[in-house]
Amino acid sequence: MLKFILVAMGLGLFAPTWAAAPLDLGTLRGRVVYLDFWASWCAPCRQSFPWMQTLMTTYAAQGLTIVAVNLDTDRADADKFLRQFKPTFDVRFDPAGELAASYNVKSMPSSVLIDRHGVTRFTHMGFRPVDGALYESQLRELLAEK
Amino acid sequence: MAASCALLSAGAARSQDARAVSADSGVLDDWSINSALAYYHEDGRIHAIEPIVDVAKVFANGQSISANFVYDALAGASPNGALPSRIPQTFGSPSSKGAQTAYVTAPGQLPVDPNYHDDRIAVGANWTIPLARTDQLSVGAKLSDEHDFFSISANASIAHDFNDKNTTVSVGINNEYDRLHPIGGAPIPGADIAFGGGPGTGIGIQVGGKTSLETKNGVGLLLGVTQVMNRYWLSEFNVSVDRFHGYLNDPYKITSVIDGGGGTTEYIYESRPRERTRRSAYWENRVTWNPQVSTALSLRYMSDDWGVRSETAQLHLRRQLSNRERYIEPTIRWYNQSAADFYTPFILDTTVLPTYQASDSRLAAFHALTYGLKFAQTFPGVGDRKESELSIRVEYYQQTLVERAAVPVSLQGLDLFPGVKAVLVQIGWRF
Amino acid sequence: MPGRLNAAFIIAGMVFLAGCSSLGVKPWQRDVMARAEMQLDSDAVDAAIDDHLYFSKEASSGGRSFAGGGCGCN
Repeated sequence: MLKFILVAMGLGLFAPTWAAAPLDLGTLRGRVVYLDFWASWCAPCRQSFPWMQTLMTTYAAQGLTIVAVNLDTDRADADKFLRQFKPTFDVRFDPAGELAASYNVKSMPSSVLIDRHGVTRFTHMGFRPVDGALYESQLRELLAEK
Repeated sequence: MAASCALLSAGAARSQDARAVSADSGVLDDWSINSALAYYHEDGRIHAIEPIVDVAKVFANGQSISANFVYDALAGASPNGALPSRIPQTFGSPSSKGAQTAYVTAPGQLPVDPNYHDDRIAVGANWTIPLARTDQLSVGAKLSDEHDFFSISANASIAHDFNDKNTTVSVGINNEYDRLHPIGGAPIPGADIAFGGGPGTGIGIQVGGKTSLETKNGVGLLLGVTQVMNRYWLSEFNVSVDRFHGYLNDPYKITSVIDGGGGTTEYIYESRPRERTRRSAYWENRVTWNPQVSTALSLRYMSDDWGVRSETAQLHLRRQLSNRERYIEPTIRWYNQSAADFYTPFILDTTVLPTYQASDSRLAAFHALTYGLKFAQTFPGVGDRKESELSIRVEYYQQTLVERAAVPVSLQGLDLFPGVKAVLVQIGWRF
Repeated sequence: MPGRLNAAFIIAGMVFLAGCSSLGVKPWQRDVMARAEMQLDSDAVDAAIDDHLYFSKEASSGGRSFAGGGCGCN
């Protein structure tokens, strides 16, 4: 099922909010999505990745999907980072930054929490380990919703 | 809208063998240590060994602290400010420990105190606190202690980011307080050194006219703008002003009073004004030209109310080698300064003794060149161990004085304006 | 002279700030800016050793940061 979702997203069902409409997550509707924007050169991303991995293992069964959008211009840099952190969540590549622009990313990393109905509910700029608890409580709130 | 999504490449990079990583591990949480050992050797004069350690840590809440420790051991010969003479000159050595030790300077030689030595310990700490996503406060303090000098300073600065963090404006203030307690006392500026052997014998013995403790105080203000010009170019522009007042003399520097024939009739202590205000403008540009080559060019203009104006230009060029595992960095620095209004290599005994005078070559007109070369090797992190860097740096510094004063015939041919030639070798280890 | 210098500072500062709004990169285009060699304090220890040397040999100090030096060497 998850594999199908990921393929579907890759085919372009994953729509940006350029028209200020709620994000249409297509077949991801019904899941809570943590959409993360990152790059290999971003120092706090080295802390957010292990944290997101913990989130993934803890909450995937309750309906969490993590999508990490990489913004490196050179794919090799991203691959090196991924070899080090070995995430099991979905990673996408946006070397031209068009998706980042559509989400008006202001800081690296930035993340967006999208509820089961495809509505963007929380946005986060930057990542400090102390922020993790707040982000996690927001996530639990969305997971509890039907 | 599908078009922008197509940017996301279809193949998701995934890995099944994830290892559990706790949220509090990671590079930022570790202490980073930057250490170096420098050896400085000045041709025919002082040499120094200087170990320095910098430690820094970023905390989970985004605050960071850094602390540094410097030890400085100097020994050798230091010019005392007197002019070379055709006859031997004898001086008391105030900078040696305990009682005065006399030293003799041979005819034609630049008088230097051969017993010069000093140990300095300095510690500093800095604390950076994010106030908001775009504002940051930084406070710091420094302490420095030598056997004849103590300095304490505190600084605070605030920085604000705007324009998507492409522009940072910062303003800072620094306050420094220094205590001087020179060996044998701090001379009253312009005081005579009596001639133990009578005028004309060239034997100068220090007498009276000293205080045991002097202080000086300084306040500095700095306004800076940092701008990301484009993806490859970062620019910084600073203006600063600082004002020091108090005992600004070098307590060990003297000035020769000579007669028309070039003979020394007297030595007097230097006398600098009790106030000094400096202004500077600093512009630095860092540019990455291609993945292997980057440069850092800095330009500085400075002027003070003592009449010193200086221009400085420094260029570092870094060439990455072996896929960024090592780099080589040549450096060149050019410096030029005009003399302080009261700078004089000697005083003629026929003139009225000036209120302010100093023969200290650091207040003379000169230009200086530095050539440097650095080589650094990076060792990749293994397991939990972070990446580290070993570096070696060599610098050659040469100061050339610009002669100004007309020299009495009898002293012509003597090297009255020797410059400085120095070599610095430094080994660095960062991990 | 100080007056002329002040004016130069103010003009340079205004030109600098005026240019700012049209300059810069997007937050995700800071890959080159994140490199070690692009950090203004990339070689803080080297700079500290050099500054100490120049402070003890020259009449000028500071500019990049505060002047003064906390040493009795000048």
